[in-house]
Amino acid sequence: MEQAGESRIAQPRDRVWRALNDPEVLARCLDGCKSMTPVGDGEYEAEVGAKVGPVKATFKAAIALNDVVEPESYRLDVEVKGGAAGFAKGSALVNLEDVTGEDGDETLLTYEINGNIGGKLAQIGSRLVDAAARKTAARFFERFKVDFDTA
Amino acid sequence: MASETGIGASVKRKEDARFITGAGNYTDDINAPGQTHAVFVRSPYARARINGIDTAAAAATDGVVAVFTGADLAADEIGDLPCGWLVKSKDGSDMVAPPHPPIATEAVNYVGEPYAVVIGETLEAARNGAEAVDADFEERPAVVDLATAASADQIHESVPNNQAYDWELGDKAATDAAFDGAHHVATVDIVNNRLIPNAIEPRAALGEYDAAAGTYTLHTTSQNPHLERLVLAAFVNVAPEARLRVISPDVGGGFGSKIFVYAEETAVIWAAGKVRRPVKWRAERSESFLADAHGRDHVTTAQLALDQNGKFLGLRVKTKANMGAYLSTFASSVPTYLYGTLMAGQYTTPAIYVEVQSLYTNTAPVDAYRGAGRPEATYVVERCVETAAREMGIDPAEIRRRNFIQPGDFPYDTPVALTYDTGDYEASLDKALGHIDYAGFGARRAASESAGKKRGIGFSCYIEACGLAPSQVAISLGAGVGLFEVGEVRVDVTGSVTVVTGSHSHGQSHETTFAQIISDKLGVPFENVTVLHGDTGRSDYALGTYGSRSLAVGGSAIIKATDKIIAKGKKIAAHILEAQEDQMDFADGTFTVVDSNQSITFGEVAFAAYVPQNYPLEELEPGLSEKAFYDPPNFTYPAGAHICEVEVDPDTGVVDIVDFVAVDDFGHVVNPMIVEGQVHGGLAQGIGQALLEHGVYDDAGQLLSGSYMDYTMPRADDLPSFTVDTTVTPCTHNPLGVKGCGEAGAIGSTAAVMNAVTDALGVASVPMPATPETVWRAASARGSSAEGAERGE
Amino acid sequence: MIPFRLNGDAAQFDSGDRDTPLLYVLRSPTVGDMTPKLGCGGELCGACRVLVDGEPAYACTLPAGAVEGRHVETAAGLDTPVRRALVDANATQCGHCLPGIVVAAEALFRSNPKPARAEIAAALDSQLCRCGSHPRVLRALVDLGGE
Repeated sequence: MEQAGESRIAQPRDRVWRALNDPEVLARCLDGCKSMTPVGDGEYEAEVGAKVGPVKATFKAAIALNDVVEPESYRLDVEVKGGAAGFAKGSALVNLEDVTGEDGDETLLTYEINGNIGGKLAQIGSRLVDAAARKTAARFFERFKVDFDTA
Repeated sequence: MASETGIGASVKRKEDARFITGAGNYTDDINAPGQTHAVFVRSPYARARINGIDTAAAAATDGVVAVFTGADLAADEIGDLPCGWLVKSKDGSDMVAPPHPPIATEAVNYVGEPYAVVIGETLEAARNGAEAVDADFEERPAVVDLATAASADQIHESVPNNQAYDWELGDKAATDAAFDGAHHVATVDIVNNRLIPNAIEPRAALGEYDAAAGTYTLHTTSQNPHLERLVLAAFVNVAPEARLRVISPDVGGGFGSKIFVYAEETAVIWAAGKVRRPVKWRAERSESFLADAHGRDHVTTAQLALDQNGKFLGLRVKTKANMGAYLSTFASSVPTYLYGTLMAGQYTTPAIYVEVQSLYTNTAPVDAYRGAGRPEATYVVERCVETAAREMGIDPAEIRRRNFIQPGDFPYDTPVALTYDTGDYEASLDKALGHIDYAGFGARRAASESAGKKRGIGFSCYIEACGLAPSQVAISLGAGVGLFEVGEVRVDVTGSVTVVTGSHSHGQSHETTFAQIISDKLGVPFENVTVLHGDTGRSDYALGTYGSRSLAVGGSAIIKATDKIIAKGKKIAAHILEAQEDQMDFADGTFTVVDSNQSITFGEVAFAAYVPQNYPLEELEPGLSEKAFYDPPNFTYPAGAHICEVEVDPDTGVVDIVDFVAVDDFGHVVNPMIVEGQVHGGLAQGIGQALLEHGVYDDAGQLLSGSYMDYTMPRADDLPSFTVDTTVTPCTHNPLGVKGCGEAGAIGSTAAVMNAVTDALGVASVPMPATPETVWRAASARGSSAEGAERGE
Repeated sequence: MIPFRLNGDAAQFDSGDRDTPLLYVLRSPTVGDMTPKLGCGGELCGACRVLVDGEPAYACTLPAGAVEGRHVETAAGLDTPVRRALVDANATQCGHCLPGIVVAAEALFRSNPKPARAEIAAALDSQLCRCGSHPRVLRALVDLGGE
């Protein structure tokens, strides 16, 4: 699966960057995320409940931030081991850019996602996973955008 | 006894009432008191090193009885799963088979390969335990593409170039010379698509260990319980044969996929001994897709050389065959001795040269699937013939006629090792042409044309070598076992008959066919004959059911045993009637003194044998029960003509099979109704391969066609009303004159369908399966590279 | 215990099994009807089909609790013209799919005693058979519908 997208956020870049590095924000924005625990420098362990087609499971995800260029970009690597359901691996290249909006500094967030899946997930859900991943990513950045208003 | 229940009668199947009313007894219907449940933990990766497996959490899960890994089996000296047929490469070297532990130890090499098994009090507990097994995998690049596998990453340490063997058959120099002198050369590039067997009953096993007696009993979905026992005892080292009983009760379809000795059945029977309780396993459908041996999967280039009259001069075939990740039980023989040897087809082609390179990939093992090598061979030959006919402007029926081996030519030695005993290929073709109304095809095509449709007709004149097999021939070619069969005829005290056969019925209806033979030969009422099969505790060592052999080999063993019964019966009857043994005649269930009115019935003789009052005990043992082993002197050679007529909608690419005629020569037929059913089944699978089915892995080795959502099975409305007919040239070397009918439909039909589809579209080739999208693309790209279309480019 | 009727007789299963698919409950020692088979576990092959109050259902996914107080019929209990026609036609080969086919066909004939061939084929679309028994099943049911 491969996909890309962008989101314009009415916040200055350093604030967006901080949020992008805040596990609590990430946990709030990720569909089905039950917990996000730091396990090292830029590394987290998350518990995510997900349903893809007929496969329903709670996944443990290892999340790591790599290639960090503060406050500009990073690569978010996610590896999910779903036990009997299989695995999913993905990485999101996130890039922030200053843009000028009507009310001052804004940020343009662009992302590119790559990933693959294996085991039962691929066997039964291959047609569905692409759509599910697309939806999850879109929802993540949607929530991320409005999270600044609620936080 | 030419009766309503004898040989040649369409007797209603004994099995049907039981099956249809739900009274069948399949492995999953059997439960043992105190049984536990096994769940296998399977690799999600196509290729990975196993750096460690943590089973602690799984073992601590509620209701989990035990968790085993490959290390546990190895510690118990449980051996690797063997391949039973040694094929040699061109240079004389042995094939290279990687170690195949039932449960992976150091590495996993296909998605679905088991690396642990969890035994639970309940299925749910075992599943929960399986979820908790934590393995540390180090993923490595998967080798998936067959065409490039030889130059890809080496999968197994012990297998250079991922090559099992590089095999050849035939005379290369003579074939090259034939091509040098050819008027025309027809070339085809073929991908024979991977198929997934999909018996509707998933594989299952129930293992039991009797600690007091030290014996194991395995109920399982096997086509050949004795083979299963032999391998589990002699190679895998579960228990000696005498302490291991394998029972295959009713089995819900096999199609080859239940011949093999798999990891799961092996682990289940071993685990039953470890946990000292019965262990039950039944595959989920998703496991069947991943871990049943798949079928076909060849990439081939073939060339047919012809003279100016369309006479075949030579055939050259170069094939790459996908073995999957390991060498399954009979995998090596399928693309070699069951494939290359069939390249003469029904024709007098004087020079043939076949090369087959078998390669490993990170996919499920590939082994025999209905037809096993012979559908692939037929597809090569018949696509070549049809292509040559079109390129040379010769009618496809006519070009075949010009090249048929003639009835007077038998026995006929082909240039690829076989000796055909008998046949009349033109008779089958003529009958098929009549059924399809070949003369009227032009008008039908015109009618379709005016309705905006494209009509095509395709031929396939197939031959198969079955009735496996003469043991000495097979062993000299690498088989690790003899391929005879056993039959036992036990006449009961009251004259009813119990037949024990080493063949196994999983849809073929042995209970009916074999009872007909006995009823016919002994004059015993059909309903008084009971056929037992599928139990190593009941029958002597025998080889089971595969390769359309049950009647030709198993039936022949029963005939031999019956002959012994009759011979002994004559002795008893002669004593009672105070006549000479050589004066005794036996017919219609009655022993008669020739030229007299003195007679005694079969039942009276049986009774005398068991209540031996007026009986020559000093010369003759009491009882009337005989056993015979039968080893065939040759293969049998069923052959036939399949003609398919299709109508294609060029706007949608939908292929409609408007007519399908199969005329087969199976030799004598014992039960025409059952034979027709077998042909229907084969046709459904052959047509399924042509139009619907495709086992697909992605580049990472993930199975994309892993459920019925993505793997298209033939359904009621996909199949036309077949016209099924027969011709008869009796097999010359078995007592019934029978040849076998189980695989013919799957062997002949695929090429007929694809020849019809290409004819309709006017293109050189269309890749299989010819789905609407594929056909639509081929129709749209008409005139562009035919090779490109075949390769799906 | 949860009561229901099975092929006309009173039957029951443990209340803890409400969420268990009906197929497993029917095949459990408590109930003991092995007629419906597991083929795919995902409503894609039809081997598990049963009638619930006359309507066809996939027992492999239907929670057992859904049949509380209702009438479940399996091929074992359907001594009907449909089942007799299939027995007479020798439609079976390995037999594993046939109990489901009997149920699917029975449901069709109860709602439509004279179905056309296309309607029969449509009703069998849910029923996979790998042995290729479909032509004979179709023929038997077409004959039955035409009588």
